[in-house]
Amino acid sequence: MKRAKNLYSYYMVFPALLIYSIFFVVPAIAAFYYSFTDWRLDRIDLKFIGWDNFEKIFSDKTLILALKNTAIFAVVTVAGKNIIGLLLAVALNMRLKTKNLLRAIFYSPSILSILVISILFTPMLRTEGTINRVLEAVGLHSLSQAWLTNPSLVIWTIAIVSIWQSAGFQMAIYLAGLQSISQEYYEAAKIDGASSWKSFFKITLPLLLPAININLMLTLIGGLKVFSEVYVMTGGGPGNASQVVGTIILRSFGEGNWGLGTAVNTLLFVVVTIIAIPLLIFMRRKEVTE
Amino acid sequence: MHKRKKAASMVLASLLSISLTACGSGGTDSVTSASNGNKNSKVTLELAISKSSQDSAFIQQDILDEFEKQTNISVNLQLIPAEQTTTVLQTKLAVDETPDIIQYNLASAITDLNLERNFEILDNESWASRIVNKDVLSAAGHIYSFHVSQDTGMQGVVYNKQIFADLGLSIPTSYEQFLAICEKIKAGGITPVFMPYKDAWAANIWPAAAFADFVAKNDPSFFDELNSNKKKWSDIPEFKTFLEQQYEVYTKGYTNTDVLSDSYDMAVGKFLNKEVAMMFMGDWLIEGVAEQDPSMELGVFPIPSSDDAKLGASPLGGQLFIPKKAKHLDEAKQFLDFIASKEIAQQIVDAKGYVSNFSDVTTPELPAYKQDIVDNYILPKKTVLTTDAYMLVDRSELYRLLQDQFAGGLTPEEVLKSWDEKFSQLMQDKGVSGF
Repeated sequence: MKRAKNLYSYYMVFPALLIYSIFFVVPAIAAFYYSFTDWRLDRIDLKFIGWDNFEKIFSDKTLILALKNTAIFAVVTVAGKNIIGLLLAVALNMRLKTKNLLRAIFYSPSILSILVISILFTPMLRTEGTINRVLEAVGLHSLSQAWLTNPSLVIWTIAIVSIWQSAGFQMAIYLAGLQSISQEYYEAAKIDGASSWKSFFKITLPLLLPAININLMLTLIGGLKVFSEVYVMTGGGPGNASQVVGTIILRSFGEGNWGLGTAVNTLLFVVVTIIAIPLLIFMRRKEVTE
Repeated sequence: MHKRKKAASMVLASLLSISLTACGSGGTDSVTSASNGNKNSKVTLELAISKSSQDSAFIQQDILDEFEKQTNISVNLQLIPAEQTTTVLQTKLAVDETPDIIQYNLASAITDLNLERNFEILDNESWASRIVNKDVLSAAGHIYSFHVSQDTGMQGVVYNKQIFADLGLSIPTSYEQFLAICEKIKAGGITPVFMPYKDAWAANIWPAAAFADFVAKNDPSFFDELNSNKKKWSDIPEFKTFLEQQYEVYTKGYTNTDVLSDSYDMAVGKFLNKEVAMMFMGDWLIEGVAEQDPSMELGVFPIPSSDDAKLGASPLGGQLFIPKKAKHLDEAKQFLDFIASKEIAQQIVDAKGYVSNFSDVTTPELPAYKQDIVDNYILPKKTVLTTDAYMLVDRSELYRLLQDQFAGGLTPEEVLKSWDEKFSQLMQDKGVSGF
């Protein structure tokens, strides 16, 4: 009887699993196969070409640059979104009169699509745009930059826009985590004479680890998969200065190299998996339960 | 049990990461509308066309109705979302789900749709003998496409005639004269040239015409040799000069300051506000400005890269093609015969203000700028097909390299060398012999 009950839950999940398999698992496995072929849009016949696509990827200067840019973007956004999100959450977890209003304000950018945000920021970041005008108005003339057209600055600019958009969302997750921590711990720590810093590092951070894990995973995978903001703000330019793995995939498909594009996509999957799964396991072990 | 649970969660984690990275790898977006099939043996032609070309003269309802009335053949339109047009057509051709007729542009069909393998040669169609300018419909020496107009767009320097008249300027016929004109316009408080190179393709208008004009006069077999790997882009020193020229126009301060931030969609506004006097662009820009303000007098002259250069003829435009594997090949050809008939072609040419490409169809009164082009360039044969006409591969990387030149990252020499490498790799990937 118990066994039948257990099976029953599997019947319920089966339709969803089937749809998921058809639309995600099968194409993903097919993509593995295609990344080892010379699949092109102007040839019908497919040839298995072994590791050729991957060799091509690593001998392509632009792709190396794209990998570097993706790494910069991922590291900067993971750090920025989480540090700012956590600071905001801690600040807005205190007894402030404007607490709810401020929470809403900081959360609001993440409601908008990153595409919309990117379109809005593009003119603001022009050489003669709002950002530079404001900097000049407050006497920080020396800080005004060619934000999106200076090849060595552009990927950092896009990362900052991404942080601006998403930090509020990370804040919301941290707030939820903070509010699940019982006040008793803090009271006990206070009686023992612990400072606020000590409370934060010894109570808040360890008990917040589940929320930190979720945020780290979300921002890391999002950072490695970056596409929309780069595509809208610069299209990978100027030249190839802000190409990331996502835009390179688009470029390969545009040039008719479907096999190569799929290979880049497969590489991205492998990179995300290699980084994300061990990190997930490692962080899980660190979690403590109340 | 515990182990199994662990394994299951690992599998689920992998699946999760798959779904997070899965990037909709080009499924066949079927955008076909159901074919009516052979009801009562009545034939329905499938005509595939991009949504962005909905105003195409060939698919207006009255034309299609008249065709059906005369032949009892109906035409079913397959409208494809603009951004997916190339992919959808490529997929259809690859899996033999071919429409009977496709509207696409000739230059891109060569690079994107494998023209020679997939499309009918139309040299022997009855209308072909009445075509005035076969070049605009041809590739590899054969007519592959159909259009009633011989003007698929001209590329050169679009300029404001009023500003030229006010400052007493005439059309420059050499690069030095062009710089002198820029200087005068700048002194008059107007930006001489608008460069919207955030859109990288716009940076290719100057070289595409300049290169083509130069090789047509000095090295006519260049593109054949280039496409068979006997010559390289960097073999022609003048190409470097032409890239330097375009960059010099910028460094001398004759352009908008933010060339890499400004985009093409700002161009119409810049001309309407008389903020700029010139732009390296196609005459489609003039049409765009005229729609907003018919009183604006714009014209176009050749890219002044060398003395007495010819006007660049864009090989782009919306031509009709018939796939070899069309299910109703004869009826598709009948449709072209119908459009090519004197009466219907005249009707289309009149409605659209086209430069007729049929010897027995008269060109209507054209807008002033078009008439200028016809009188000064088309009739005296002072046009040259731009480099796009000879390309077998995607040019986006060249555009990005040109953008990089303006970002200060590459010299003209490096642009050509990098493009040589990429070009050769793309040709090799495509399987072109000699690479």
